[in-house]
Amino acid sequence: MQKRKFLSFVSLLVFVLLLSAGSALAAENVLKLGVLFPLTGPCATAGQRCVAAVETAAEVINNKHPELDVPLAKQEGILKGMKIQLVVADTQGKPDVAKSEAERLLNQEGVYAIIGSYNSSASKPASAVTERAKKLFMCGCSSSAALTERDFKYFFRLAPTDKTESKEFVEYIEWLNKNQKAGIKTIGLIYENTEFGKHAADEGKAAAKAAGFEVVADVAFNPGATNLNSEVQTLKAKNPDAVFGACLGGDYTLWVRTMKQMNWLPKVALNYCTGYQDPKIAQQLAADGNFFMGGTGYSPEIGAKYMKKVAAVEKIYSKKVGVPFDSDSIQEAVALFILAQAIEKAGTLDVDKVAEVIRTTTFDSPLSLGGKVAFGPGGQNMKATSIITQLHDGKYVPVYPPSYAETKATVPMTPWDKR
Amino acid sequence: MVRNMKTRKLETKDFIWIGLIGILAALPLVPGLIGNSFRAHVLILILLYASMAQSWNIVSGYAGQVSFGHSVFFGIGAYGAGMAVVTYGLTPWPGLLAGAVLAALVSLLISYPCFKLKGHYFAIATFAIVEIFNRLFMVWDWVGGALGLDYPILPDGWKNFVWSETKVGFYYGALGLFILIFGVVRWIETHRLGYYLRAVREGQETAESLGVNSSAVKLSAMAFSAFLAALCGGFFVQYNYRVDPPMVMSLDMSMKFVLITILGGVGNFWGPLLGAAILVPLQEYSRAYLTSLGSGVDLIIFGIIIMLMMIRQPKGIMGILQDLGIKTGQRKPEREEN
Repeated sequence: MQKRKFLSFVSLLVFVLLLSAGSALAAENVLKLGVLFPLTGPCATAGQRCVAAVETAAEVINNKHPELDVPLAKQEGILKGMKIQLVVADTQGKPDVAKSEAERLLNQEGVYAIIGSYNSSASKPASAVTERAKKLFMCGCSSSAALTERDFKYFFRLAPTDKTESKEFVEYIEWLNKNQKAGIKTIGLIYENTEFGKHAADEGKAAAKAAGFEVVADVAFNPGATNLNSEVQTLKAKNPDAVFGACLGGDYTLWVRTMKQMNWLPKVALNYCTGYQDPKIAQQLAADGNFFMGGTGYSPEIGAKYMKKVAAVEKIYSKKVGVPFDSDSIQEAVALFILAQAIEKAGTLDVDKVAEVIRTTTFDSPLSLGGKVAFGPGGQNMKATSIITQLHDGKYVPVYPPSYAETKATVPMTPWDKR
Repeated sequence: MVRNMKTRKLETKDFIWIGLIGILAALPLVPGLIGNSFRAHVLILILLYASMAQSWNIVSGYAGQVSFGHSVFFGIGAYGAGMAVVTYGLTPWPGLLAGAVLAALVSLLISYPCFKLKGHYFAIATFAIVEIFNRLFMVWDWVGGALGLDYPILPDGWKNFVWSETKVGFYYGALGLFILIFGVVRWIETHRLGYYLRAVREGQETAESLGVNSSAVKLSAMAFSAFLAALCGGFFVQYNYRVDPPMVMSLDMSMKFVLITILGGVGNFWGPLLGAAILVPLQEYSRAYLTSLGSGVDLIIFGIIIMLMMIRQPKGIMGILQDLGIKTGQRKPEREEN
């Protein structure tokens, strides 16, 4: 009996060794890429969607997909058959963990580049690691403008920054005053007190002041708050005409519901892209979410009209997570497509040559609003675009710029008691 | 007793300690062991967390005043070094020293009223202090507020105390910190202050009746402890190139001080090292290699192991070793010694 157990154990061991040897042999012509996102902690859902988006892009690149009209879909792999292998790591949403995992991915796993890391506060130290090691960091959706103000040579970010979104918000308010006689003179800010929220609020404040608006309320709250009564009470007391919000996920829902409870609304409520643009929020808020606005880089409705090639790719993605792409996750898929296209164009894995291609090329990007990607100083995507949408029965309906507008925005928002 | 302490001979524990330092100092000489590997990262974190836990052990283990507020002192140290580099463009060294001194002063200011509370009330008060400092630093623009402080890319070396090509510099930095803090605790343990601390822990009223000024003893322990915790904070910010309040001044960070020591053995010289040597690899390797199993599986396994450890032996690893009949160097109660 003992002997049989021992033999079974040895057989199992040999089998496992053979399997690993097999995978090592098969792994010869692969390019390992690090995928570094928050997979646990408060941003876990968003992080898992980002990973699924990168996996979707890898699946499209690694296999022949003649039915898809996106770059690299019709061939198998890059550089004549090299397959992309993803090594997934968890930042837990913490900067120190992001930094140590970036080091592990580079030094232990030997990845060629890293894609990540959703939270700006995690992307910063993780990309400092890649920059020191002269490796590429492709950042999809971290929005802090500071990320691309560091003069890094190997860092590239796809999404619009909170600085560009702030300018767009102010531009839109001026447009509303002119074209819809909105009469907006004062601005209030509500934001989570984090790297993302604080940075967005600072940019919003600066843009509003520069355009001559008076900032009458500046309200910070701790992310994951269970109660926003005092914060909304402060807003209500100052009664700003427009509110810029930098609230994520559950905080956004709580903010809207607390305003309903207190029977108060500004004329316009604009939220930064990350947070507002989460399909689950629209579902949770249902009719209460009506007339709230924000920056949007992608929604299925926008995709159907302006990014028609996304739908087929989205099918692969939706099978993994059960929801369509959102503005954040789609940027992470774009990050991998751009990196793969750059390697293919450079014809080599030499990091400096690939970085040079990324810096100097205007890429076709069917998964980006506008269809193009081109990087400027600091590695910021100069073609990054987001449009302003308004929620109408759970749908993100474009309202600005006029070239994208599908309807006239409901401004001022319909008061709670008249809905 | 005092004369005996002045002429103290080296004990077995001292020889083990010296031998351990020798081995740790020689580790980078083993080819491929340190370099820039994940293994090196884990070793550095073991030394850092052992040092942090040992600094906590002074006030909470030896003096019996359970503090959940050590992340405040750790954070002040981190901000000292971080501000010296990021805000003032200096090397981290003056900031490190200033942060440590400031942390000691803050600890005295906080502890003076808090030490009037006893037992659980003192612990609860220290919980509140972490929240107060966290909120304060989140809105204080001079220290970077919620945005935190991000290091620029600096040349490698001891001057800036940053390295990117290899982790050997960080390793020796962590080892230096480890030697300093464990050395201080060993000194305290064998000198008058150590006896007073344990006397206060075992019975404050009794100690006072024998002439021990319990307030002064506890305050000195807290100041020592805060100073050393702040040095660890300074190392932490250098190692991570960034500091913001949730990273350093949080209950999460405070719990690391507590958990490591409890796991290893509270009030024991070796406890913090054993706790860190078990907990850090468990945390780092489970995250690194179990992430692919799905979200949070690594944390679930990690949590279960900690729970099992605590159920099996609440005295920590030192308790398990004692159960196995292994000599742990745990000093006998004072009254038996005298």
